[in-house]
Amino acid sequence: METRLCSVLLAAALLAGCSWFHRGEQAPTQIVAEEPQGEPAVIEPQVNRREVKTPKIKAKDFEVGAYFGALSIEDFGTNPIYGIRAAYHVSEDIFLEGFAAYSKAGQSSLEEVFPQITVLSNSGRQFTYYDLDVGYNVLPGEIFLGRGHAFNSALYVTVGIGDVKFASQDQFALNFGVGTRILITDWLALHMDVRDHVFESDLFGVDKNVHNIEATLGLTTFF
Amino acid sequence: MRPLLALMLLLQAFHSTLAHAAERHLELVVTQPYLEMHSGPGRGFPVVYVAERDELITVLYSRTEWYKIRAPHGQEGWVRRTDLALTTLTSGEPAPIPPYPVFSTHQWEVGAGYGVYNRQNLVTAYADYSLTDSIDAEFVVQQALGTLDNRYVTTIGLRHTFVPEWKWFSPTAGLGTGYQYIEDKVPPAPLEKSNQMAYVSLGARGFITRRFMWRADWRHYVVFNNLNVSEELEEWKLGFAVFF
Repeated sequence: METRLCSVLLAAALLAGCSWFHRGEQAPTQIVAEEPQGEPAVIEPQVNRREVKTPKIKAKDFEVGAYFGALSIEDFGTNPIYGIRAAYHVSEDIFLEGFAAYSKAGQSSLEEVFPQITVLSNSGRQFTYYDLDVGYNVLPGEIFLGRGHAFNSALYVTVGIGDVKFASQDQFALNFGVGTRILITDWLALHMDVRDHVFESDLFGVDKNVHNIEATLGLTTFF
Repeated sequence: MRPLLALMLLLQAFHSTLAHAAERHLELVVTQPYLEMHSGPGRGFPVVYVAERDELITVLYSRTEWYKIRAPHGQEGWVRRTDLALTTLTSGEPAPIPPYPVFSTHQWEVGAGYGVYNRQNLVTAYADYSLTDSIDAEFVVQQALGTLDNRYVTTIGLRHTFVPEWKWFSPTAGLGTGYQYIEDKVPPAPLEKSNQMAYVSLGARGFITRRFMWRADWRHYVVFNNLNVSEELEEWKLGFAVFF
């Protein structure tokens, strides 16, 4: 009996202790607005949630443009060249680039010495190529024009593979280049490039690697 | 000089057409003690301005891992991606800088490379879409340039990456079908110019940096023809790709 009384007292003491610990916490009181039965509310809340659209950041990693210059076709003189180019900048160092260009070969030295000899037909003189390159910005920096102007620039090297169509035949070609990109504005760039297209040719009866070096000036836009 | 000027005008028109699409810019609050703005999108360009804590900056656009921003007083400069990620929206939420795609779970690959196909030099380009983390559908266009003929090959196939989580080197295997077209250079002309083919492949892929990766493949082709013996060809190639 005594034990039961003790346990009842202990339980009461514990409950009292608990209520003492929780004395700071108010029980949540619910305020319930009493609406008169059958009558509509005076103001119907019509709150439309405003959708906040965060503007997206435009990535300008692509570069497209065109170029022109001079192409020295081995044994066939130096001739004008016109091309287009497109690049994707992977990081601040690496970019992937594609080129396609057109030129037309002039007279070979053999044809100049012996005008009665024709080495290539008119259509065979067309020189077209496409290249797929990997480029690396070796020396990024700034170019200064007087005291007041600084343009971001980069000296880059490229290496790639592609197809050269010359003498009415497609040839596998390697190309090596070096160029400078000068950013006139953030979206407009001036390019100066020197690139060598190397492929195997047997046009004069002997297999040899021919080097076709081009020097070009181009403009590109970033988007 | 005239073509250069004409080209400049053309590019200006092209650029302004595109620029109209996005006129609203993202505004962010600097939460760090300062935010360094560089003169160009590269690690070596000098710091030309420093935005202070609590200043509101406008993000204009990005180029690779750099972001062009405008400070409240009009100064513009380039901020590194990791620095910009420490800013917040005006509501206090973290800046919505899109993360780089994770290499093991990326969706798209676009690449090109060099190879040898039937002992001919090969130029190859491909696009690849991930159906699951380990299975991709790939579309390949390639040109093989030889002394006797040139071949144009296009294939479509499936590729399985055994362990996509392996970052630097992960083996792959695949199979697919396609067509080859032969353009002869030296007589005699081939008996059949266009044939369907099937292939099996073994290869590997690996991460290089940012969005850049490498791919290597060996393929064994069986060319279906109307001759008594079906032609079998081998190809290997190595390429680089960008993944999204």
